[in-house]
Amino acid sequence: MSYPFKPNPKLDLTLERFLDAPRELLWRAWTTPEHVKQWFTPKPWIITDCEIDLRPGGLFRTRMQSPDGKQVSDRHCCYLEIVPNERLVWTDALLPGYRPSGEPFITAIIALTPEGNGTRYTATAIHRDEATRNNHEEMGFFDGWGTVADQLTDYVKTI
Amino acid sequence: MSLETVSQSVPPIDGIFRALADPTRRRVVERLNRSPASVSELAGPFGMALPSFVEHLKVLEGCGLVQSHKAGRVRTYSLSPEPLQLAENWLAEQRALWERRLDQFDTYVMSLKESEK
Repeated sequence: MSYPFKPNPKLDLTLERFLDAPRELLWRAWTTPEHVKQWFTPKPWIITDCEIDLRPGGLFRTRMQSPDGKQVSDRHCCYLEIVPNERLVWTDALLPGYRPSGEPFITAIIALTPEGNGTRYTATAIHRDEATRNNHEEMGFFDGWGTVADQLTDYVKTI
Repeated sequence: MSLETVSQSVPPIDGIFRALADPTRRRVVERLNRSPASVSELAGPFGMALPSFVEHLKVLEGCGLVQSHKAGRVRTYSLSPEPLQLAENWLAEQRALWERRLDQFDTYVMSLKESEK
């Protein structure tokens, strides 16, 4: 893998932001279950459980719960690349131990670069294709946003 | 979002959701979904001082959800389809997820930084 990654504009997205915190702190927030639970899932969904085995082939598991507490789903991902304080790469295309998964959807690259007293944070989401999107658990967050303005606005009321 | 100053640019979808977080503005969007309307037609049902109402229209126009044009003394507003299509677009949804995740991450690491001082 060579960096920087060149995204496919139809399938991938890149978010970049300056964060006013040292990258060691950002790294811990991404790689410690107690921290990940606090921010990983857009509210009002929550993460009730998180498991991290921080090594290539190791498990990155999150358990999400819907706002009404009814829907609970575990998401098993696999770490691919771990360069402490610098780059974290994981995917749901593989399970721990590199076993292929049934519903591959995303590979994520989190890159941290020091900048002044803070960090340049870059998150890249590499997607398989649009056809797989309906299988994706996280789409549950956005079902209400999709089709018409009314659904969109209803969702915003809950934020 | 108090950390707005940290972010380099506010993505358009944030502005759209912020604009739609207000019930008056949602009702204006619902009304414009039927047909374009003048300021007085739009303001009618609300019983709000006109300058306050116009502020709401400015927010909607500012994020690109609505557009307006003036003919004589009458300004007519209509819905712009693009931003809602943006929200309907799959990749935009993914972006919204990652943006909200990043907002929460940003807020969280700031509190973590404070607590470790």
